[in-house]
Amino acid sequence: MAKAALLLILSVLPGLALAQAPKADLACKATGTDFVFDCTIRLSRGGKPLEGAQVTVGADMPSMPMAHNVKPVKAQAAHAPGEYRAKLDLEMLGVWAVKLRLAGPVRDQLILHYEFDSKGATPAKR
Amino acid sequence: MSDLAQNTLDGLFLGSSYALLALGFTLIFGVLRRVNLSFGPAVMFGCYAATWVNLNFGAGLVLLALVTILGSILAGAYVERLCFAPHRGGSAIAAMVASFALWMQFEELASIVLPRHLYDFPPLHGGAPLAFGAMTLRIESLVMLFAALLMCALLWWILYRTRFGVAVRAVIDQPQAAQLAGINVPRVFMLTFALASAIGGLAGFLIAASHEQVTPMLGMWSTMKGLLAMMLGGLGSLPGAVLGGLALGLLEAHSQWFFGPQNRDLIAYALIFILLAARVPWMTTRSAS
Amino acid sequence: MDDYAIGVLTNIGLISFLALSAYLLLITGEMSFGQQAFFGVGAYAGGMLTAMYGWSLPLAALCAMALGALAQFLVGLPTLRLRGLYFAMATLAAAEMARILFELFHFQRQLEGEPVGPDGSQGFRGIRWVFEHGVEPLEYLGMVYALLALALVAFLLVERSRLGATLRGVGEDAELAASLGVNVTRVKLGVAAAAGALAALGGVLYAHHNTYIEPRNFDIMLGVHSLAYALIGGLGTALGPLLGVVLDIGALEGSRVFQGYRMIVFGGLVALLLIWRPRGLLDERAVQWLRRRFS
Repeated sequence: MAKAALLLILSVLPGLALAQAPKADLACKATGTDFVFDCTIRLSRGGKPLEGAQVTVGADMPSMPMAHNVKPVKAQAAHAPGEYRAKLDLEMLGVWAVKLRLAGPVRDQLILHYEFDSKGATPAKR
Repeated sequence: MSDLAQNTLDGLFLGSSYALLALGFTLIFGVLRRVNLSFGPAVMFGCYAATWVNLNFGAGLVLLALVTILGSILAGAYVERLCFAPHRGGSAIAAMVASFALWMQFEELASIVLPRHLYDFPPLHGGAPLAFGAMTLRIESLVMLFAALLMCALLWWILYRTRFGVAVRAVIDQPQAAQLAGINVPRVFMLTFALASAIGGLAGFLIAASHEQVTPMLGMWSTMKGLLAMMLGGLGSLPGAVLGGLALGLLEAHSQWFFGPQNRDLIAYALIFILLAARVPWMTTRSAS
Repeated sequence: MDDYAIGVLTNIGLISFLALSAYLLLITGEMSFGQQAFFGVGAYAGGMLTAMYGWSLPLAALCAMALGALAQFLVGLPTLRLRGLYFAMATLAAAEMARILFELFHFQRQLEGEPVGPDGSQGFRGIRWVFEHGVEPLEYLGMVYALLALALVAFLLVERSRLGATLRGVGEDAELAASLGVNVTRVKLGVAAAAGALAALGGVLYAHHNTYIEPRNFDIMLGVHSLAYALIGGLGTALGPLLGVVLDIGALEGSRVFQGYRMIVFGGLVALLLIWRPRGLLDERAVQWLRRRFS
């Protein structure tokens, strides 16, 4: 009885179980315009593509966390399942902490570090 | 044992670039009694000007050095007019905060004009380092050390053998008396700023050329090293600036060898903190409000 | 209100804690370039407690504040006798040491197959307390401002009290205050602890708002900025630092007109403003004038 109650409570509590935490990766291409990038985001959860999420993409420069606020854009669902497209307008090149805010089936926030140069973005590891 | 010698040598070379930066910083602090947070950024402005010239026209080293120095002087004049001249009789903190504001301007300007993270800078010497037994000597380092020594000698000559130098020293030691004696203090400030910026520009050029690259971090880095070296050697003391710079270089070279680059910085900061906390006399006697 | 506006407003609130922390020290005559370190201490401590050990945010925040207070107290003990630029340099050195220590700090726990915790320069991901407890961005914003309001009330009460007069007295002329019987050391240490707690509170709130922190977040730029906000906004009242924060982040961030040139415009404006008002906008004289006008 107590175990059932516990399970009931646990199932109701939102956002449990880190094993269900979504994962993401980013592929960006430079467009013709300065500092504007065309980005494709791939979301997955528990090994399967995460569909139907509302993704808002923002970015921050690590060394000035609250200054270079890039206006967040809503990503559009792309053709492949779990893929979303967004145009990122950064104010300069360099290492950015891309912030993915997820709503919909899963509420979460993911931070990915990428180095943006004149061609596109590569994952940044320090 | 030869490691120790090599590190000492490397430390001296590194230290001579710090000494130059510290000299510029100290000149401004000694004469104006103000901290100029835009000192490093002005140096960066000069280096970026030279980089821009190099990218668009390609130029010889001498020309690039001149561009760097002139760029730094120009940037320094801008800072002096906007941040220090208006607050001359007034608040030191206001001047400092204004210089911080201009630092932000320089950083953004640099990233707008030259947006990449890293730019090549032509080397001082394209060839191989010299070898002395078990030790290696980079030509760039020798040039740097030589330039630092030359600059010190030049500065000494200016301060002790010219009328301008007499005026500067008078303002450093007895600002009110100097004013009463008829010295044109505002002009001394302006020219000192130009001189300090020129020294900084030379330092910047040598640093950029010996690292063969320029990054936007140069501004903050130069200010930090200049400040640290100036602190180590005793605030406002010109010989102290040189010694402080050399000491910082030696400390960094040896720390890096034994403990790696992160710990190197940790040790330098720890040392400064401990020395300040212990209020060692040469570091804490000058009035610095 | 859209997410972006909520984000900007939250950031204003968070940095205000840091600016207030710098302001508190400035009142007593000490200029600190290092408050960002205590911001970081709060962020890491609070984040670790909630993400790695499942503590609730309020409890973690209290603990973080205590740690921040302790840290600033310990840094203050050997350094508060230093004056002016020397104290500033000591705080700068301490803050940079803290940042480097954050870069060397690796401490993770395996939670459900994933490592959670600070990972040196890779940062500290997954501070997901707000998601695990269904806190909406607007609710979080409300929480931040409620706490900020509490802090402001405390400040305004102190400023009108004898304690406030004592603090400003110490700031104006410490020797005079000492000759009047004030234990200057005790006052400064108390203020240091309070400033550390305030910065740490901002830090823990920042960590949970951002869900991710890394050592680079807590570098010199953050500290010098918060000091500048206090000095630009004016030292006459606790609303001064807030004004400084709002001017930078709020006005210029809100108007995207200056896209890419924001720093250049803001920097120039600040330099000009300081020529006109060297002691900041809401300096002591302005506050006196306002009080007389509206009393």
